[in-house]
Amino acid sequence: MVYDLAIIGGGPSGITAGIYAARQKMKTVLIAKSFGGQMAHKTVDIENYPGFDKISGLDLIEKFENQLKGKNVEILSEELHAIVKENDSFKISFEDGKFINATAVIIAAGAKPRKLDVEGESEFLGRGVSYCTTCDGPLYQGKDIVIAGGGNAGFESAIFMQNYANKVYILEYGPEARADEENQKRANENGKIELIVSADIKKIQGSAFMEKVVYADRVTGEEKEIKAQGVFVQIGYSPASHIVEHLADLNQRKEIIVNHDTMETRTPGLYAAGDITDGFLKQVVVAAADGAKASMSAYKYLQSKNG
Amino acid sequence: MNIRLFTTPICPYCVTLKRFLEEKGVQFVVINVLEDKAAQEEMIEKTQQVTVPVLDIDGEFIVGFDRKKIVEKLGIKEED
Repeated sequence: MVYDLAIIGGGPSGITAGIYAARQKMKTVLIAKSFGGQMAHKTVDIENYPGFDKISGLDLIEKFENQLKGKNVEILSEELHAIVKENDSFKISFEDGKFINATAVIIAAGAKPRKLDVEGESEFLGRGVSYCTTCDGPLYQGKDIVIAGGGNAGFESAIFMQNYANKVYILEYGPEARADEENQKRANENGKIELIVSADIKKIQGSAFMEKVVYADRVTGEEKEIKAQGVFVQIGYSPASHIVEHLADLNQRKEIIVNHDTMETRTPGLYAAGDITDGFLKQVVVAAADGAKASMSAYKYLQSKNG
Repeated sequence: MNIRLFTTPICPYCVTLKRFLEEKGVQFVVINVLEDKAAQEEMIEKTQQVTVPVLDIDGEFIVGFDRKKIVEKLGIKEED
């Protein structure tokens, strides 16, 4: 099957690109294992997307998704294997061996949670270690838990976990919390959350399930431990750019370097949008705008090829 | 077939799996383990994991949206 445009990713940028592509009557496929991207995992409501005073990530993405589904865009929920440029089009192959071709591609695959990369993290995954507070958090009712990371995502997770956990420790690597004032204020409202700064997490230990987090105090060098049944890792995201690293230039953070007017990468016909790019503001509204720009650029590219 | 989907209230992966099963016309029961503590204990004991979603297909517990395993176990035909 040959498409005009293949969009990789079902977050706000991919969906918006799909909506714009349908309006230009491009023969479009959107490939996404699930919809929502990071937005679906937000522990607090979104309050800065125009048109909604306050809306949950899941509700907003459902509205995005419903709008897309009314358009003429094919949706494939496949696991991507590779993207290669062959002659004048892109071949996109999937884990099950199937493939499609497209003249233009928009990569809007977003970013994946960054791992701590410490002993015990993989061993206790699903047995105490989690990257999804909204999924697994409610299973820790009455337990003591650790949030790794003192940025906004860490504080928002901690605030969410106040509803369930007995005690919430936020372990921040730096000398002070990085979350904004509003989140820090909200975390101080009931005494369940304790912030520990200059904490370098070294290992996660336990038997059948995790039982403690061991960390080094970066000021004194002393090794300390916290007895906890869960650790929620909230230390940022890594862009899911590896699939196109042979076709696009990446910066040190592995973000795809794009022209921010057109969302072009270094490969003609390949565009990137949303959190996977080197754009400085990682927000829903920005991702959506990126998707619109990428889609219109792809449309111009197709027009130029068709004469 | 006796199929149960163990979930928590705002878990995005649970929503994705639920929609997938609905789209494929699978009959199943949704269990909110935040409210049903006995089911939560059963789920953790059977899987030895503290995570959702979990799908119980006739006593076989599948952790996460493991599409390949689910499709195979349910005998769902996927389009080419």
